[in-house]
Amino acid sequence: MTTRHPSPTRPYRDVPVIHRAHWKWLVILYFFLGGIAGAAQFVAGLASLSDRQRNHRTARIARLVSFFAFLPCPLLLVLDLRKPSRFLNMLRIVKFRSPMSIGSWTLALFGGAATASALRETLGSEDRVVPPTWFRAALELGSAAAPALGVVLSGYTGTLLAATAVPVWAKGSRWIGPLFLTSATASATSLVETVLTLGDAPPSDAERVGHLEGICSVAEVALLAGWLRSVAAYDRPLLRGEAAWPFRHLTVGAGLALPLALRAFSPRLPRPARTAATVLGTGLTLTGGLALRYALVVAGAESADDPEATFRFTSGSATSHPPEAKLASATRSAP
Amino acid sequence: MAEPCHASPGTPVGFLTDTTLCIGCKACEVACKQWNQLPADEPLTGRGLSGLSYDNTVDLGAETWRHVSFVEVAAEPSVTHGSPVTAWLMMSDVCKHCVHAGCMEACPTGAIIRTEFDTVFIQPDVCNGCGYCVPACPFGVPQLSDEAHIARKCTLCYDRLRGGLEPACAKACPTDSIRFGPVAELRVEAALRVEQLRAAGQGQAVVYGDTRVGGTGGIGGLNALFVLTAPPETYHLPAKPALPGDRAAGSYATTLVAAAGIAAAALVALGPRR
Repeated sequence: MTTRHPSPTRPYRDVPVIHRAHWKWLVILYFFLGGIAGAAQFVAGLASLSDRQRNHRTARIARLVSFFAFLPCPLLLVLDLRKPSRFLNMLRIVKFRSPMSIGSWTLALFGGAATASALRETLGSEDRVVPPTWFRAALELGSAAAPALGVVLSGYTGTLLAATAVPVWAKGSRWIGPLFLTSATASATSLVETVLTLGDAPPSDAERVGHLEGICSVAEVALLAGWLRSVAAYDRPLLRGEAAWPFRHLTVGAGLALPLALRAFSPRLPRPARTAATVLGTGLTLTGGLALRYALVVAGAESADDPEATFRFTSGSATSHPPEAKLASATRSAP
Repeated sequence: MAEPCHASPGTPVGFLTDTTLCIGCKACEVACKQWNQLPADEPLTGRGLSGLSYDNTVDLGAETWRHVSFVEVAAEPSVTHGSPVTAWLMMSDVCKHCVHAGCMEACPTGAIIRTEFDTVFIQPDVCNGCGYCVPACPFGVPQLSDEAHIARKCTLCYDRLRGGLEPACAKACPTDSIRFGPVAELRVEAALRVEQLRAAGQGQAVVYGDTRVGGTGGIGGLNALFVLTAPPETYHLPAKPALPGDRAAGSYATTLVAAAGIAAAALVALGPRR
């Protein structure tokens, strides 16, 4: 006899214990654009709330940015579901325990609200057409609801990941929502800043929005650090997997470190260079935001595929490894 | 052989899969595929052979609702007189039909329902293939089917139950390793069997599916129970899974706190000049 098993073989070691989500680029793009659309409405609402008079250009641009970021979202989700009519199944019931249900309803309502607020901006600026009163009332209602719906739309995608059995998502469940909301707000404010800079708005408008963008980026760095600390036991796919390069270089390096450095140095630059720095900063921030969602979705898939991670996560204590099988029980097959 | 059980609406029914009686014949897999008209599935390698002992279906999935795993373990030298002997722990895995099911909570369409038999069932005409139940199951049971692109899993033979028949897998099992019946009775049976196994020297015998092992963390127990003789991980089962939906409230709460923080920052950055 030449072939003997020297030690317990573990034939199932490579087979995942849980199933990974099927999410790919469609959903990653939706997380990114939906996040910006929601956050831009949030920023528009906050701008009006802070100082309606002084921020009216900022709020207007934010509402238009939101509308255009929202437009591809339903298309992306319908492509993911394969048939348009399937999205209607989402609206059969409301389930507060399901982030997917909350998200679907929010997206549907937000679509109306964001459209209303964009229409209100474009109609309100010119007095050529006077729409009927009921129509104006609907536009006012939609615009008023949009910022709150925007917060939910921007942040629920974090909860969507958190409320799963996937170790790297579930472990950091309290961090991903704030991380997504903050990152989306940074992206949205950055876009608004660039549009204001390139348009004919007074420079102080863009400066104020830029100030908010800076605060959001710093907060994002802190949240990212907190989240990485909380998922330290499950961060292998983030630090060594397919997501590692984009996460390290695009999310952290290009998406946070560079734009913050640009923001710190740009006041010393001459005017045209400052405009270029703003546009470049926005491009980098958006790249970072997209890379963050890519990294999280891809790391989640790898985390789900890792049975060791799942067993550690479900062993009862977060750090201990599952007990190695002591197999007195194997006697029934022994001679 | 146990008496055939007729399920009556209102009484929770489920499985008791006693792994000590499983002989790895896969009659359950075949009966399940035949009754539910499920196609053969490609194993992970895509070449027809997985290389995992006698197991070529590898995992539960959209087209495999019963899966017999062949866990190869080395028997203790003390009982094999020093010679290395490989033994099999065989187990027929299936949907756990959780008391509080992660998939059902996650489902946004209401396609996943609890039937009159207290089983968890995916209505194929309502499922829209969003796929969220897939990562929300702590046991890796539901999966999206390739062609229809909807989530599929064990129905606990809902159609057979309605017709007064027991599930196909339990019917086909030649050793009664798979038993079907009212969950309350199965729980008692499982506890007795574990007691018996422990008395016979199987010190690690355990019921998988009560609120201490398998049905933990808000899941509230399983309606598909297992009798195991080694730690759950040996059978590729999580020891103490938790209900994923329980994490949603905390996540929403911290997101709202972040929103409040951003609002405060905006009032400073965008507010009137002081």
